[in-house]
Amino acid sequence: MNRFDYIRPGTVAEAVSAAAVPGSAYLAAGTNLLDLMKIGVARPERLVDLNYLPGLDAIEALPDGGVRIGARVRNADLAQDPGFRRRFPAVAEALLSGASGQLRNMATVGGNLLQRTRCPYFQDTASACNRRAPGSGCDARGGENRLHAVLGWSEACIATHPSDFCVPLVALGAVVEIAGPAGPREVPLADFHLLPGATPERESVLAPGELVTALRLPAEAAGFAAHARYVKLRERTSYAFAVVSAAAALRIEDGRIAAARLALGGVAAKPWRAEAAEAALVGAAPDAAAFQQAAEIALAEARPSGDNAFKIELARRIARRALRLAAAGTPERLPALPASPFAPLSGGLHG
Amino acid sequence: MTRLIVNGAEQVVAAPPEARLSTVLRDGLGLTGTKIGCDAGDCGACTVLVDGAQVCACLVPLGQAEGARVQTVEGLAADPMGAALQHAFQAHGAAQCGYCTPGMLMAAMEVLQASPRPAEAQVMAALGGVLCRCTGYRKIVTAVMEAHRFLDAPAAPLPEAGQAVGARMGRADGWPKLDGREAYGADAAPADALWLRPVRSPHAHARFTLGDTAPLLARHPGLERVLAAADVPGRNGYGIYPDIKDQAVFAEGLVRYRGDVVCALVGTREAVEAVRVEELPLDWEVLPPLAEPGAALAEGAPALHERWPDNVLTTGRVRRGDAAAALAASVHVAEGRWQTSFVEHAYVEPEAGWARRVGDRIEVFASTQAPYMDLEEVAGVLGLPHAAVRIVPTACGGGFGGKLDVAVQPMLAIAAWLLRRSVRATWSRSESMASSTKRHPARIEARAGCDAEGRLTALEFEGIYDTGAYASWGPTVAGRVPAHSTGPYRVPHVRSRARAVLTNNPPSGAFRGFGVPQAAIAQEALWDRLADAAGIDRLEFRLINALRAGDATATGQVIAASAGLPACLEALRPRWAALREEAAAENAAGGPLRHGVGIACMWYGIGNTGMSNPSTMRITLEPGGRLAFHNGAVDIGQGSTTVLLQIAADALGLPASAFALVLGDTDLTADAGKTSASRQTFVSGRAAMEAGLALRDAILLRANAGPEGRLALSDGMLTVDGRPLHLEAPLEGLGRFDPPTVPLDADGQGVPYATYGFAAQIAALAVDTELGTIRLKRIVAAHDVGRAINPLLVEGQIEGGIAQGIGLALMEEYLPGRTENLHDYLIPTVGDVPAIESILIEDPEPLGPYGAKGIGEPALVPTAPAIFSAIRDATGAEINRIPALPHRVLEAIRRKEGAG
Ligand SMILES: Cc1cc2nc3c(=O)[nH]c(=O)nc-3n(C[C@H](O)[C@H](O)[C@H](O)COP(=O)(O)OP(=O)(O)OC[C@H]3O[C@@H](n4cnc5c(N)ncnc54)[C@H](O)[C@@H]3O)c2cc1C
Ligand code: SF4
Ligand code: FES
Ligand code: FES
Repeated sequence: MNRFDYIRPGTVAEAVSAAAVPGSAYLAAGTNLLDLMKIGVARPERLVDLNYLPGLDAIEALPDGGVRIGARVRNADLAQDPGFRRRFPAVAEALLSGASGQLRNMATVGGNLLQRTRCPYFQDTASACNRRAPGSGCDARGGENRLHAVLGWSEACIATHPSDFCVPLVALGAVVEIAGPAGPREVPLADFHLLPGATPERESVLAPGELVTALRLPAEAAGFAAHARYVKLRERTSYAFAVVSAAAALRIEDGRIAAARLALGGVAAKPWRAEAAEAALVGAAPDAAAFQQAAEIALAEARPSGDNAFKIELARRIARRALRLAAAGTPERLPALPASPFAPLSGGLHG
Repeated sequence: MTRLIVNGAEQVVAAPPEARLSTVLRDGLGLTGTKIGCDAGDCGACTVLVDGAQVCACLVPLGQAEGARVQTVEGLAADPMGAALQHAFQAHGAAQCGYCTPGMLMAAMEVLQASPRPAEAQVMAALGGVLCRCTGYRKIVTAVMEAHRFLDAPAAPLPEAGQAVGARMGRADGWPKLDGREAYGADAAPADALWLRPVRSPHAHARFTLGDTAPLLARHPGLERVLAAADVPGRNGYGIYPDIKDQAVFAEGLVRYRGDVVCALVGTREAVEAVRVEELPLDWEVLPPLAEPGAALAEGAPALHERWPDNVLTTGRVRRGDAAAALAASVHVAEGRWQTSFVEHAYVEPEAGWARRVGDRIEVFASTQAPYMDLEEVAGVLGLPHAAVRIVPTACGGGFGGKLDVAVQPMLAIAAWLLRRSVRATWSRSESMASSTKRHPARIEARAGCDAEGRLTALEFEGIYDTGAYASWGPTVAGRVPAHSTGPYRVPHVRSRARAVLTNNPPSGAFRGFGVPQAAIAQEALWDRLADAAGIDRLEFRLINALRAGDATATGQVIAASAGLPACLEALRPRWAALREEAAAENAAGGPLRHGVGIACMWYGIGNTGMSNPSTMRITLEPGGRLAFHNGAVDIGQGSTTVLLQIAADALGLPASAFALVLGDTDLTADAGKTSASRQTFVSGRAAMEAGLALRDAILLRANAGPEGRLALSDGMLTVDGRPLHLEAPLEGLGRFDPPTVPLDADGQGVPYATYGFAAQIAALAVDTELGTIRLKRIVAAHDVGRAINPLLVEGQIEGGIAQGIGLALMEEYLPGRTENLHDYLIPTVGDVPAIESILIEDPEPLGPYGAKGIGEPALVPTAPAIFSAIRDATGAEINRIPALPHRVLEAIRRKEGAG
């Protein structure tokens, strides 16, 4: 690791001005950043530590029924918050399916949004990678790319965004609150992460120095609480990133779907909201045929970026599974293994 | 300056705010009980509590712990629940190598502080972020759930004289693993030691030149030396076989795999870490690699080493009868092809150690499985006589075969020798994974037949094992596989061949089972299909064919005794029936989840294949009454220190608690051979028994007592039948054992092993046929161990072996260059290991100590084939490409449906 400056700002304004200096990086819990610094992928010249910033660590109920989550709130604290968990069960389930207890106790909401891809070539400084070193090429093309993107990828980059948390958030219409040198602004989470195009090094809409201060979930998101699930396919039982995942949320009225939300994880460089599939579900009966059709629509544009055609079918199936589980109803208590496709089902899916 | 409260005491630390808490605790405060396994959040070995919450100390920047309350393993005993948890771990055998233990204990404390009597699911959730490669987790979960019972209970008494063999005794070396005192390779180097950092090839195959390093040295004050090939005082080569020293300490202009060492930086820690690889004057000419055995065997392929022009390192064969004719005449024939992957040992402790020069001798302290082999390698690379080398094994945080090859030892010895300073090194996780040996990926084609009654007639087996860039243990694997290719069954006609093929991959070496687990996957799949074809229950089919005492094996060896496979199968029969009924009932309901039950057996020859492998043990009794057991067998967590002590104690007739232990150090102990091939209980155990008996004879002779004389030792006074025995000179009991074998001839005929372990395991699972995921429900394991010297430790070996078998079957796939960390390379977590029932069968081995054989490797062998058998049972799908990741399971299901 190289020597660098370490700054501990006391206000958001100080943080933003400190970070506006080129070569700066925000340090939240560091669970991602410290590792990237050790392996030489991130080489910031100054670290702006957010850990002592006041006012970014609250979970606030908003008067309109929504909720605001400070960027410094720990993943575990959010998932364990009884009010939040009751109203946004799929988000809690996604949080609890990520990483390990230790990491959830540390990792912050802002850091989770901005964690970098797990593409192994991105992490290996001896490999060519347009995201890490623009213009150097992409060793994942023609390399080990079994777990790479099937949606929204470009010739320049086929990496995926690894977050679980973001998948139900984008489904539920979360909004990102940002402070920056040019003042505050907000951006829907759906527009926050950028697809790679020709500039994979630009991962989000944040301008230099901009700070995520909070996330907001609108009141209507809580309307899905009775039918909201997150399902994650992993290659071991826990403590693993998703191969593919899906968040599904339904509002069922009189045996018909009155509103639907569906998003996919592990398939693209951003959490992937499937709005066309949502639209197709509205008005339908919550049955296998409707879910099948929604899954087809969600993946209609998908194409393999390498040795990963299987992910397309797997993503369809995980979407279907999430919809079926959501339709069966959010369980009283979160399953012992959150987001596991093996969780026993009240609706008797597994007979 | 940062203020912390560590285990209740305030500490003020002068370290930069971005320093990791783990580094501050270990290097700044000397609290080395907190372990480092990955430095990346992937393993949990560094788990501590910060303000009561478990976190990875390796990812906490010091600046964020300002004023925080930090609890580490060193402070555990002061908390009543902490002390109870330690006692529970000791009583339940929850620590093996002990390297994950501090992290496990601290993670467990988080849940115990909230719920002193946690439910299983709570414990599993709390421990989900700590990896253990040894135990299979089950005993850890039990210990945590039962911790509350140890709140007031006194420690369990040790067995009395004559009662040690067969006792469920806690580990003799257990406590230091529970309170943070155990010193592993990275824990004990002197404070002023220099650091060594190797520079490794990022290419699988390349030529290189290393230019003048003087400018680099000038640019980095504190960098003392850049060591390269020309600096090696002796032979620049090492390797397992005395006549194959093909792996250079520092490559000589050519690298053969991504991981070969080009040179090493030696200096202060800050200096060696500050050097960027790009700064080195290295010129590369990248060459096309031979990426897999097919390419290496192709006509005209370039030779990796001149010595093996066709890239075939070794070929092992067994030929008996006429397999082709017998197959042609068989009523039922089954055949198939399988392909397995590189598997990483993933011991949680990365390679580490330190060395110093003492006059004209060199001393190396390192984590190892084979101190005497290390001694030979160090002597060789330094050009020194053996007597000038001392190897002192540190505690070993897991080995499984991977620490049989040297790693840090030669480089450290060279640096310490030349610089006349203490020099230390610790591989990073990615370096450990890139450079260490792997389980051989195997491509197997096999065909077998049986008659109408289900009696096996013949087997043809062809295995190609990717042995990587250097020989390592490749010849052993190629030798062992054909001898085991029939599995533990009577097969009259056999033609089998295994070849170890050189490629530009990491060297494949020794890994629990030496190639046999891969072969077992193929065999057992064939038996299932033959059983189905013959219309015979799969368990009964195996019983019909099981080797029994008096039968001849494919190598022509007649098994004289201790062939407990039929007993294992009979013990499993009721569980088999019950689990099959359960699965059938669950399947009756339909749905995407299909339940299945599978079975597989194994045998495993204990000790080296057709080769001498002696062990010597020594017990001394000094006039002052000090009774010392000099034991050179390295305990890498499997428990040999405890088991050999139990044997020695009963042979001598004194309680285990009477002994002082002198372990490992090559200056103080005799050569016990390496900790491999499941040999320590059988071979060193017999030597320990002989040593105990010899000392007993000597004592009885001096005391003029009869063979039944009762010994006692208290306050330094030995009594025989109550009469004090005064000694003027020390007494010694020496025991040596070398299991009798007959080398294999060109057709693989001979007596490769003096005895075999046998086992059968059942796996019950569910397959999600939509998603391709597998949920294990239960493993039932019946193992013939001859005699369970310590049933607690035997169960621990079985559970740990099963966990590794699960990894092999379902998730582990090492891709050179791409999975050099523990989040891309997945090993089982606590949630991946289902309930395990162990059934111990004791069919005594006359040659073994008190009838014992070995258990280390056997436990792993049948697990993967039993899992594939269960997948086959659940879905009809045949897993040929291993591991069975979800996409491969789905593909196999599709293939089967396509085939109708
Ligand atoms: C072993 C392991 C397993 C994991 N498994 C999973 C998993 O299964 N699922 C999953 O979703 N995640 C997983 N993660 C990722 C984990 O969730 C992230 O590391 C974590 O959320 C990052 O949060 P942090 O607070 O530590 O961020 P940091 O590491 O401090 O920061 C990450 C990035 O975000 C930037 N940043 C942080 N906060 C802000 C802010 N407020 N405004 C602007 N920029 C900011 C930083 O500059 C940095 O670039 C895993 C991580 C590890 C180490
Ligand atoms: S996929 Fe993207 S992140 Fe991975 S190597 Fe290619 S450019 Fe880099
Ligand atoms: S050393 Fe910290 S998680 Fe592995
Ligand atoms: S005892 Fe857990 S890693 Fe060895």
